[in-house]
Amino acid sequence: MTRTFFRAAWLALALIAFTVPVSPAHAADATPHMKGLWLTTDYPSVTARGGDSTTVKIKLQNYGLAPEKVALSVEGVPAGWKAMILGGGAPVSAAMPATDDNVQLSLRIDTPVGLTSGTQTITLRAKSASASAAIPIDVTIGQALPAKLVLKAKNPSLIGNAKTSFEFQFNVANQSDRDLIVKFAAQAPRGFQTSFMEAYGSQEISSIPIEAGKDKDLKVKVQPPSQIAANSYPVAIQVSAEDATADTSMVMQITGQSQLKITGQDGRLSTAAVAGTASPVALTLSNDGSAPAQDISITASPPTDWKVTFTPDKVAALGPGEKLDVQAQLTPSAKAVAGDYMTTFRASGTGGDSSSADIRVTVSTSTLWGIVGVGIVAIALLIAVGAVARFGRR
Amino acid sequence: MARRSGSVFTGCGTVFLKELADHLGSGRMRILEWLVLLTGIGAVYTAIQDLKTTTSQDPFLFLRLFTNAHDPLPSFMAVLGFLIPLVAIGLGFDAVNGEFNRRTMSRILAQPVYRDALLMGKFFAGLATLAVALVSLWLLIIGLGLIMLGVPPSGEEVMRGGAFLVVSLAYGGLWLALAMLCSVIFRAPATSALSALGLWLLMSVLWPLLSRFLTEAIFPTTQLTLLTGPSYNQIVFQQMLARLSPNTLFAESLLGILDPSTRALGPVFMTQLEGAVMGNPLPLGQSLLLIWPQVTGLIAGVIVMFVAAYIVFQRQEVRA
Repeated sequence: MTRTFFRAAWLALALIAFTVPVSPAHAADATPHMKGLWLTTDYPSVTARGGDSTTVKIKLQNYGLAPEKVALSVEGVPAGWKAMILGGGAPVSAAMPATDDNVQLSLRIDTPVGLTSGTQTITLRAKSASASAAIPIDVTIGQALPAKLVLKAKNPSLIGNAKTSFEFQFNVANQSDRDLIVKFAAQAPRGFQTSFMEAYGSQEISSIPIEAGKDKDLKVKVQPPSQIAANSYPVAIQVSAEDATADTSMVMQITGQSQLKITGQDGRLSTAAVAGTASPVALTLSNDGSAPAQDISITASPPTDWKVTFTPDKVAALGPGEKLDVQAQLTPSAKAVAGDYMTTFRASGTGGDSSSADIRVTVSTSTLWGIVGVGIVAIALLIAVGAVARFGRR
Repeated sequence: MARRSGSVFTGCGTVFLKELADHLGSGRMRILEWLVLLTGIGAVYTAIQDLKTTTSQDPFLFLRLFTNAHDPLPSFMAVLGFLIPLVAIGLGFDAVNGEFNRRTMSRILAQPVYRDALLMGKFFAGLATLAVALVSLWLLIIGLGLIMLGVPPSGEEVMRGGAFLVVSLAYGGLWLALAMLCSVIFRAPATSALSALGLWLLMSVLWPLLSRFLTEAIFPTTQLTLLTGPSYNQIVFQQMLARLSPNTLFAESLLGILDPSTRALGPVFMTQLEGAVMGNPLPLGQSLLLIWPQVTGLIAGVIVMFVAAYIVFQRQEVRA
């Protein structure tokens, strides 16, 4: 019995020894040294332009008081100015912060138009039954920072041919203190198509909002006309927002490119041929590009056992805008079945430039066997005549 | 044996007109025509019902009247392939022996009519009767198509229809000449009719099977052919055997004429079809060229049969 009691006393002592040093520290966190109502804000002094409105974020803090109604009021509002207390987006005139908690408020101040300078102090007061607080806010009328845009091109010079779609990436930074809607304009030579897009977007845009201090990656896509001569072409882009503009210019180096085109003469894409007999197919080879085509070879992919020869079958060079008549001799297989066939004629130059034309060949078979058939019938008739001659008439 | 003298056609016209009148008035002919008419109209009517429900565009709508088969009934083309020989045999099986049996042969030949003129007159009369039946049936079908489909046939369709008539007539002529040959050989009309009909059954029903068995006997089935299918030679041989039957020739000819997209009637290598635009109709000339061997076979068959009948007839004693 005594032993049991002794043990219990020990345990109680140990518990006290552990808990006692902890509890004061805990109490220091929970209960502040101060007690009362406070109004606080991050920036108690703001700048606004005349006619603008500015909003100050304010916290009503309750330290160690029981929750109670706190009446809010604004003092020192100059004539012509307007000040309004907003809580949760709506005008309020009282707040009720819980113990050791705060309520977010904002003070909206509308400055009159035409004011250019001067500082006014507006005081926000909070008053409850047991405590009160006040915060003076200085509003300085002055000039805001002008809008400023910075435009940087990532690759100011691109090389390509007339079929290339040039994509110039650029970066627009809004180095002003407010959000801006930035508009784009591009100046390209006549016939060039320009379109602005976000760097990883595909939708064409004409303006984009950029937040204060942020930047955006954009691109301008330039499609040169397909018949453009080889040269360097400048493209100037300009971004503007409000009164700020920025521009930069970029260069497209367009190299010439050949563009072969093969087609039937006068656009005809059908021809007729007799099985086993050569028949001519007239083709036209032209270069619609901006540079001469080199080492052009003309080939065909006809069905098996068909023969196709070309005169000429190789062309050393064909200048831009030039035309050349090519004569093909098409010989369908002697065993070809009558009907329509598709044959592809192809002209290919250096650098992957090639063109093909599908020509429909109507194959008819030789009438030789038809004549043989007539011969067989004739032989049968001869037999009839022979029989009459042999047996005579009775 | 006297040498021939005078025109081949002396007396031929008289025999022709008389025989034609006999044929067109005979009860046998009437029964046969009703048979052909009813089956033909039935086949075409169901084909029209089928065509009315098809909405796809078809440049050869009228030709479908001949080739379209609706389930219980065969196509008009198949009906004709079966019935034309029947009509032709019906017209020709007692052409010569009937005269003997009626004891009118010696009377006819007592007139200034030669035997070849008699035979030819009878043959052409039969052919003309067949032609009258076929043309009227053909016109009936076109008319039925016009009324029920509501579109006129194109020029090429009419041309192909005409070619179809010519081929049908050649096919009928072959069976007519064969029936006349039987009528010359056999004195009893029943024997003649039976042998002609037997031959007809052999050619239309048994010959396709026989040609397959014969081919298999010559090209026995081996492990290889089981795997790869029949060889080219085997297919060609079987087709050659099958083409000995006029039914095959007729069916192939009609296929070439009435289905313009038919490009070949024999085996075709894949290499021959490379690059081909399938399903495209051939021009009429090419279609005719395609079926020309078959038509040649039919026409030559008609002549050979007729000559055989002539030779046998010439060697017969009439005065019995």
